[in-house]
Amino acid sequence: MTPRRARVLGLVTIAVLAVLPWVLARHQLSILVDLLIFGLFAMSLDLIMGYTGMVSFGHAAYFGLGAYGSALLLIHFQPPVPVALLAGALLAGAVAVPVGWFSTRATGIYFAMLTLAFAQLLYTVAYKWRDLTGGSDGIAGVPKTTLFWGGPSLADPHAFYWLVAACLVVSLRACRALTRSPFGRALEAIRENERRFVSLGRDARPFKVVVFVIAALFAGLAGALFAPFRGFASPEVMFWVLSGQALMMVITGGIGTLVGPVIGAMVFLLIQEVLSSYTEHWMIFTGAIFVLMVIFLPGGLVGTARRWMEARG
Amino acid sequence: MSFLVEQLLNALALAGLLFLVSAGLSLVFGILRVVNFAHGVFYMLGAYLGFTAMAVSGQFWLSLLVVPPVVGVIGGLLERSTLRFIYRRPPIYQLLLTFGLALILEETVRVLYGPTAKPVDAPALLQGAVPILDTLYPRYRLFLVVAVGVGVRLFLARTRAGLVIRAVAQNSEMADCLGANVPRVRTLVFGAACALAGLGGVASAPMTTAYLGMGIGVIVDAFVVVVIGGLGSIGGSMAGSLIVGAAQTWGAFYLPETAMVIMYAVMGAILIFRPWGLFGEEE
Amino acid sequence: MTPVLEARGLGRAFGALLAVNDVSMAVASGELRAVIGPNGAGKTTLFHLISGLLAPTRGRIAFRGEDVTALSAPERCRLGISRTFQITSVFPELSVLENVRIAVQLKAGGNFRLLGGRGLIQASERRARESLAALGLSDRADALAATLPHGDQRLLEIAMAVAQEPELLLLDEPTQGLSPEDTAATVAVIRRIARERQLTILLVEHDMDVVFDLADRVSVLHFGQLIADGTPEEIRANADVQKAYLGGAD
Repeated sequence: MTPRRARVLGLVTIAVLAVLPWVLARHQLSILVDLLIFGLFAMSLDLIMGYTGMVSFGHAAYFGLGAYGSALLLIHFQPPVPVALLAGALLAGAVAVPVGWFSTRATGIYFAMLTLAFAQLLYTVAYKWRDLTGGSDGIAGVPKTTLFWGGPSLADPHAFYWLVAACLVVSLRACRALTRSPFGRALEAIRENERRFVSLGRDARPFKVVVFVIAALFAGLAGALFAPFRGFASPEVMFWVLSGQALMMVITGGIGTLVGPVIGAMVFLLIQEVLSSYTEHWMIFTGAIFVLMVIFLPGGLVGTARRWMEARG
Repeated sequence: MSFLVEQLLNALALAGLLFLVSAGLSLVFGILRVVNFAHGVFYMLGAYLGFTAMAVSGQFWLSLLVVPPVVGVIGGLLERSTLRFIYRRPPIYQLLLTFGLALILEETVRVLYGPTAKPVDAPALLQGAVPILDTLYPRYRLFLVVAVGVGVRLFLARTRAGLVIRAVAQNSEMADCLGANVPRVRTLVFGAACALAGLGGVASAPMTTAYLGMGIGVIVDAFVVVVIGGLGSIGGSMAGSLIVGAAQTWGAFYLPETAMVIMYAVMGAILIFRPWGLFGEEE
Repeated sequence: MTPVLEARGLGRAFGALLAVNDVSMAVASGELRAVIGPNGAGKTTLFHLISGLLAPTRGRIAFRGEDVTALSAPERCRLGISRTFQITSVFPELSVLENVRIAVQLKAGGNFRLLGGRGLIQASERRARESLAALGLSDRADALAATLPHGDQRLLEIAMAVAQEPELLLLDEPTQGLSPEDTAATVAVIRRIARERQLTILLVEHDMDVVFDLADRVSVLHFGQLIADGTPEEIRANADVQKAYLGGAD
C-alpha cells in the first residue's frame, strides 16, 4: 500500500469512527467501545510480539494492573478519568520493569513461560489481597468521572466513546512512530537475528526491557479505560485466558502490523459475541476457528490481505 | 518430627504428579520442539475419563490401566490432524495452536461433564490412613509417593523406551534427526506424553477430584518445573518437580496466602543464576 | 608501533578439550593476516575469543594496546572490532539496505530515540549506501536479505561489518561455499576495501589460493596451537605446516 493510500484509509477510518455514535444504537456503541479497548490491548502486545519477536503469554497482567490502578484511584479519590488512565498505565509499566528485567534473561519459549508464570503470580495476588482488591468479587462501582477538574462528565456514552476512540487513535499513531524510529528499527533487527545484533555492537536486553515496559504501558492504558467503562475490575481481567485471547487477536489480525491486531480484536470479539448468542459453549468454536487460522492464515487477516494486494499489484 | 515427615510425604506426592506432567511436556519439547500448552488439559482429561471408567466398571485399577492409552490416542490423533502441518513454522505458532486445542478440549469436557467437580474414590485397599510415627497419613497419598517413585525409577532404568528418552533428552541433535525424519515418531512421542499426563490425571483424581481448571493449574506449575529444571531434560523435570512440590507444600503451611509467591520466588532465584534452568542448555 | 591486535597466551577449554591453547600473536596496523589450519584446529573459536562471543579460559587480548579481555562482544564492537560469521548471519526479513543501515546505527548511537529520529536514520542510510556501493550491492539495496543468492549474502555480511568503519575487521571464511568466479570477485573486493579504507584484517580461510593471494602474513593453527607464523612464502615452505596438512591426524 502506498503511503498516500494508507493516509487516505486512515482518515476515512477516523471519519467513520467520528460518525458511528450517531449511527449506532446505544448497546451497539457500548460493544464498539469494548472492541476499541481490546483493540488497543492487542495492539500493545503486537509491539513486543510482532516487532521484537518476544511472545508474552502474560500480557493480561498489565491490562489488569491498569484496570485495578484506575479503579482504585477512581473509587477512592474520584479524580478526572485521564488522571486514572495515567495512573493505571504507570502502575502497569512500573510492574513491567522487574518482570521484563527477569523475563528477558531468557528468550523464545522460556520467555513465554516466564511471562505466563509472572502473570499468574500477579493474578494470585489480585485474587488473594482481599483488603485492597476485593478478592474474587473485584472492585465494583467504578465511576466514570469527568474529563478534567470541573470539566464535562464522561458518564454520557458518547463522551466516553470519544475518549476511548481518541486514546486508540493517539496510541496507534504513537506506536507507529515508535516502530519507525531508530529504536523501532533496532527492535526489528533483534527479532530477525539477535546474535547478529549483539555482534554489531549493542546488548539486546536493554531494548527488550524498554519495549516490554512500553507495551505494558499501553496495555495498562487499555485496562485503565476498561475499569471505568465496565464499572468494575476483577481478577478475571488478569487471567491467563485473556493473555491467550490477546495472542489470538494478534494472530487473527496479522502479526507485526499494529493495525492488524486492532482489527483482529474486533473480529475475534464479534465472532465471540455472535457465537455466544447461539451457544454457551462458544469457546469450542473460537478454539477451532483459531486452530484453523494458525494453520491456514499465518499472516492473519491484514497480512493475508496485504499479500493479496501485492500479488495483484 | 512426624510433622516434618508428613510434609515431606506431601511434597513428594505432589512432586510425583508434577513429574508425570512435566516429564511429558519436556519430552515433547525435547523431541518435537513444541511446547504443548494443551498438555495440562490431557491431565484433566485423564481425571475425567478416570471418573467415567470408575462409574462404569467400579474398578480403580482397571481405569488406571485403560485411561492413559485412551488419552494417548486422543493426543496422537490431535497431533496428526493439526500440529503436523505447522512444524516448519516458528515455535510460537505451535504454542498458539495447542492453546486453541486446550480451549476446545476444556470446553468439550465442560459440555460432557458439566461444571461441577467429580469425586473419584480411591480403591478400598488404599482408603483410610496409616499410622506413621505418631500421626495418621492418608494411604492413597503414600501409595502415590511409592508408586510414582518406584515406577519412574524402573521405567527409566530398565525399559528401552526409557533408554531412548534419556538418550534423546541428552542429545538434542539426535532428537532433531528423529523428529525431522519420522512423522510417526512424533505422533508416538506426542501420544505417549499425553498418556503420561493422563496417567497423572487418573492418579490425582482420588486426591483432588476431577474438576475444570485443573489443567491450567497443573500446566502453569509444570511450566515452572521445566523453567527451573530446563526444558528437554528428564533429570531437570525431576529436580524441578521436587523443588516446586516442596515450595508449594511448605509455602502452603507457613504462608497459606502466598504459597504461589514462594514458588515463583524460588524460580526467580534459580533463574538469576541459570536462565536456562538447572539442567537446560542454552537455546 | 603498538599492534592493533595482540593475544597473549590465549586459551579456551571446553571440558577437557583445549580448543585454543596458548596462542600468542600480534597483528600490525594495516596488515592483512590469515589464520589457517585443518578442520577443528580452533580457528572459529579463536575468532569468538577475539570478538568477545566467548570468554577465554586463560590469556589476555589487547586492542590498540588496551586490554579488552573483560569486555563483552558489543563493547569490543563499539571500540572498533567488527566481524562476519562463517555461517551467514544477516537479518533475513529486512531489506539489504536496512541490514547495513542498522549496523551503522548500532555503532553510531541514538538507538534509544523512541520517536522521530528521521535525521539519524537518513545519516546512517547514507553511510550504508556507501558501503553497499563499495561491495557492488547497490542495485540490490531494496531486496530482502533472505532473497539474495548465497554469494551476495556473504558480501552483505562484509558490507555490514565494513559500514561500521572498524579498525579491525574479522572475516570468518568469507568465500565459504562460493563458486570459483564468486570467490575471485570476493577476493578482489576484500583487497580493494583493505587498501582503500586502510583496514587491519584478520581472516580465517579454508581456501589456500585465497590465503596466499590475499594475506601479508599467515598464522597456522593446529590442534588449537599456533605452529607457524610468517609470510605466505615462508609458510608454503614450512615443514611443520606441510606435515599438519598432509600427514596430519585428520
